[in-house]
Amino acid sequence: MALFPLQALFDGDLVVLLVPVDDADPMTVVADKVAHHVVDRRVAAQDRPLRVRHDGRTLPDDATVVSAGVKPLDVVVVGYAS
Amino acid sequence: MPRLARSEWYDLTRDMNWSLSYVKEEEVWPAELSDGFGLPAEAWWVWDEPYKVTYPEYVHNQYGKDAGVYAVNAVIGRSKVYEQLDPGWKSAIIAHYGVIAIPEYLASLAESRMGRFGRAAAWRNMATFGTLDEMRHGQIQTYFPHGLLAREPRADWAHKALHTNEWGAVAARSLFDDMFTANDAVSTAVQLTFTFETGFTNLQFLGMAADAMKVGDVDFGALISSIQTDEARHSQQGEPTIKLLVEHGRKDAAQQLVDHMFWRSWRLFALLTGLSMDYYTPLEHRGHSFKEFMQEWICKQFLDQFRDFGLEKPWYWDEHFLPELDWYHHALQLGIWYWRPTVWWNPDAGVAPEEREWLEEKYPGWHDTFGGHWDVIAANLRAGRPEATLPETFPMICNLCHVPVVAPAGYRAGRLASPLPKILDRDGRRYVFCSAPCQWVFEQAPRRFQGHTTVIDRFLGGQIQPPTMEGALAYMSLSPEEMGRDATDYAWAQAAPDDHAAARG
Repeated sequence: MALFPLQALFDGDLVVLLVPVDDADPMTVVADKVAHHVVDRRVAAQDRPLRVRHDGRTLPDDATVVSAGVKPLDVVVVGYAS
Repeated sequence: MPRLARSEWYDLTRDMNWSLSYVKEEEVWPAELSDGFGLPAEAWWVWDEPYKVTYPEYVHNQYGKDAGVYAVNAVIGRSKVYEQLDPGWKSAIIAHYGVIAIPEYLASLAESRMGRFGRAAAWRNMATFGTLDEMRHGQIQTYFPHGLLAREPRADWAHKALHTNEWGAVAARSLFDDMFTANDAVSTAVQLTFTFETGFTNLQFLGMAADAMKVGDVDFGALISSIQTDEARHSQQGEPTIKLLVEHGRKDAAQQLVDHMFWRSWRLFALLTGLSMDYYTPLEHRGHSFKEFMQEWICKQFLDQFRDFGLEKPWYWDEHFLPELDWYHHALQLGIWYWRPTVWWNPDAGVAPEEREWLEEKYPGWHDTFGGHWDVIAANLRAGRPEATLPETFPMICNLCHVPVVAPAGYRAGRLASPLPKILDRDGRRYVFCSAPCQWVFEQAPRRFQGHTTVIDRFLGGQIQPPTMEGALAYMSLSPEEMGRDATDYAWAQAAPDDHAAARG
């Protein structure tokens, strides 16, 4: 369990954010932590689940930051499932 | 006593060049302070400025300028003019003073370096006048805001900003250190006087002076006009320097210096002037949009100057620079308004229904790209949730320009192929860039930039304690009273949503 800084981008937002997560966080938690800074703040909420993308692939919801091979300050993209 | 015409003695007294015999050239003009780019020493002696001035003329002119502008300041200072100015305009000038006043003083160091290490006597002569110019600009742009302190405490940031680690101040310091405080004399002539002053500030000051008069800020208008007349003179040091570089086969060096500094200048210019022109200036007093201003004065006139010297437009011109005119400063406006506690002025949202209509007219597609963000923000304000319009984390900041990374907005606007930041892993460190040109500038001289740390690097490196938003604001020397607030106390957001729909057409 350790603090883990990510660069995060939420689909439809205008800026890349610094979002601290935990290296044991599953992607559902990572998505929520990123969305907290964007949804209903600059981007309207949608009633759909969130997904996390990294290096062009969608990560499984139960994958953790470490198990997914995400490195500190890697860029993750969070958005609503299509 | 007979008086000779100036033309009969000017060149003789000015051109005191000499051949060295007791010391080596590189001892008198070390490359770190004056990179000659391989030109023979005597090749520089034909350096000739297009506009001449003598010391008596200089003193006479400057005395007249100061007498006039300080008289205006003394009269206006006893009036209620400042109190009656539009809140957005006040924000524009408080932002201006913080970014510009102390760098004007720093520019006097640049001019004095050229005054000593310029490679021709004529050049050193002109740079001496430039030194005096910039000292005057530093003094007058700290004196005027000092007079506002009783009415505007944030005017203190005219002197304070560049001495803090506020992120915008870090960005300005990084730019100005690169451009002149830590630059050699030859590169300074090309980058400060030609690229920045001829290309940007000379024109910016003309535009700002006109805008100031329109909004009734006679004080600031007189100040900026006075400064611009000096800029117009000393900015000409770049032209003969570039001509000599090109004539002696170093077009490549001149081109690289211009390309490098044009991009860096654009970054800060968009932030400062883009926001002022399109959002902070009252709608009824806006003439050109920022994009129209850029197209007329930069894209056309400055580009013509590039070509007159035999230079090409920068490599990023069509692919990166021109498309940014449609979106970059709009993204910064939204970001700076949202992160308003991190700046020392009160950002004016500038998105009341009639202002949105103007933005959509000047920037077709503005509403689709940016209006939706403002809709969400306005809804929160109308619902009594201002806390949802304030930041709880930070944007990533570019390791070259030190400005937040807003590439996703360019992607949304259809002007960038990807919303992702540029990333460079080098010598065990990860660098983040907002754009391809910023990464290019870095990779031209990595040793020059790799030691710099952004506010985010410092946050992650443990230099900011506690590592929270509050800790960061304190690190940036922003007390609660100094943090930016909405310039109009959210008056713009109170318009009904239906009005927004009408504004969209």
